[in-house]
Parts: sequence; structure tokens; C-alpha cells
Amino acid sequence: MRQAGAYSGIASGGISGRTGPHSLPLARIKKIMKNSSDDVKMISGDAPIVFSKACELFIEQLTKRSWAVALQAKRRTLHKDDITSAVMATDVFDFLLNLVSDSTGTKDDGHQAIGK
Amino acid sequence: MKPPKNNKYQLFLYLISALTGAHGAGNSSNINREQPILLHDRPHDQYMPAANIIRIMRRGLPPHAKIADEAKDTVQHCVSEFINFITSEANDRCHREQRKTVTAEDLLWAMARLGFEDYIEPLTLFLNRYREMESGRTSMHGEPFVKCTVDLGLPPGPTNYGLQAWPAGQAHGVFDAHGAMMMNGMNNYYRDNHGGGSSSSGQAAALPGFDPYVQFKRSL
Repeated sequence: MRQAGAYSGIASGGISGRTGPHSLPLARIKKIMKNSSDDVKMISGDAPIVFSKACELFIEQLTKRSWAVALQAKRRTLHKDDITSAVMATDVFDFLLNLVSDSTGTKDDGHQAIGK
Repeated sequence: MKPPKNNKYQLFLYLISALTGAHGAGNSSNINREQPILLHDRPHDQYMPAANIIRIMRRGLPPHAKIADEAKDTVQHCVSEFINFITSEANDRCHREQRKTVTAEDLLWAMARLGFEDYIEPLTLFLNRYREMESGRTSMHGEPFVKCTVDLGLPPGPTNYGLQAWPAGQAHGVFDAHGAMMMNGMNNYYRDNHGGGSSSSGQAAALPGFDPYVQFKRSL
């Protein structure tokens, strides 16, 4: 019996149906990578491939954690505040703190009384 | 609805919206911000397409779950920030090592370093299968589903992130690159250029129905 699902890795469904292994457009990934800093010169061909999967994992992780917050509040709709809470509660998402606290536009010093 | 003739009323509304932070749904290009300009102000091609992101989000949610629009926007922004974050770290490493090209291995290294160790294993599997398929496509000459059993006794290399050989099964299904495709083994890590290059699209696929670049043909 085969082990992990082919090509899709083991952590998630990976491939969406049979439409192809990459759920995210490689060209767009490459563009974002190039804009991450001025001195990103060259990107190897399979670097966007890595991100196509990594972003899936990232989205899944962020979504699941955010959904846990919504569930706690007995809601069935995922809100931005849930994402903010998940970011604040997860160390590895620290790099997103400015992004999420900025866009909520509530308190100005980054301290959100949102964590439940 | 604002009465147009009353400036005080409009000023009042502005103050209220400033106090409550209600700058409009999804509108994050903002006003009182001490932090530098963030991704909100960038054009749309600096984000992954929302449809793709939403589809991936839904995979992890129960069927009845709903997602607010602003939540979708936020995740979209977070994804770009994630790419930036990892790429910057990987790029710094390249500079330190005086290399010009950011490789897949650099990205994996950066992710491990920045706390995303959990991603490394699935990504490594994913990447290896991708490389197997690429090399299989260029070297199999149209026989993708040769049934064979290949036993790879690959030693773990220093940068293989714990790669292991797994026993090949019978080839079946479009995406099974398993035994049939293991032509070049797992040490493709440093190869930047595969036959045909990974950046080209629309190559004659050795695997019928399989096209890793199908997203270029898909209209979202």
C-alpha cells in the first residue's frame, strides 16, 4: 500500500481534486517573493513550488487555530478578530502581530483585549 | 446616510468612525499608524488569489462554517507576509553565503529557523515527489507507469532534513510517482535546473492528465 498521498505530502489533502498539485499560482508566488526585498535577485525554479505547499500548510494552520477561537465563542462564522486572537496566541505567528493589530485599528499600542 | 448640508454632522461621523476603527470593510490603508506601510497598501498582485486561499481555508473547516469577508482579506494579507518573512530570511542566508539564487533548500532552512519546523517534513516529501516527477518526465520518455519495485537505500544526507526512502508501490493513479519515477533518487536538492526547467509551462506531460502548471490555464 502506498504511503503518503502522492506528491501532496502528508499533512493535508494537498492537491485539490485532480486539478494539479499546486493550489496556488507559482507566478504570483514568485512575484511576491521578489518584492519581499529589493535584493532578491534570482529564485530557483522549485522555490515557488515549496511555497505553494508551505502556504497551504500556513493557511490551514492559521484557519484551524482561528476557527478554534470562533468555536469557543460559539460562532459559526470566522471573523477577523478570531484570526487576530489566533495570531496572538501562537508564537510562530508573531511576525503577523503588526499586520493583524494594525488592520483592526483598535488600540494603538498593539495590546488587544481580544484574547479569549 | 449623511445629510449633505451639515458639515458638523459629517465631522461627527468621521470622529465616530475614527474612534471605533470602522474604516470600512476590508479597507486597511490607514490613517493613524505608527508602523510602516504594510501590505494593505499594495496592489492586488501582491497577494495570492482570494479564491485559492478560500478553498484552502475551507478544507480545514466544517461544511457549515462561514468566513467573513474581512477574515478572508486578513488571511490573504497574512499569506503574503508569510512569503515575505520566509523569503527575507532565506535571502539573507544567500547573501551571507554569497549566492545569488534563493533555492528551495534556503526556504526550508528559513522556515525551520523561524519556527515552522512542522512544515519541513511534508514540504520535503512534496518537493521530492515534484522533483521525481520532473526527472521522470524528462527521462522516462512516455512510460510513466512502469511497474517496478525500487528499494532505495539512501543514506540521510546532511541537508536532507531526514529524508527517507520509502518502498515503492505499484504505480496507479495520476500522481503516483512512487516507484516508477525514482530515477534520480533524492539528492536533487541542489539542482536548480531540471530538464526543461521548472518555470516552463505546458510541457508535454509524460503523465497523462497530470500538469503541474495547470493553474496557468485555469481561470479563477
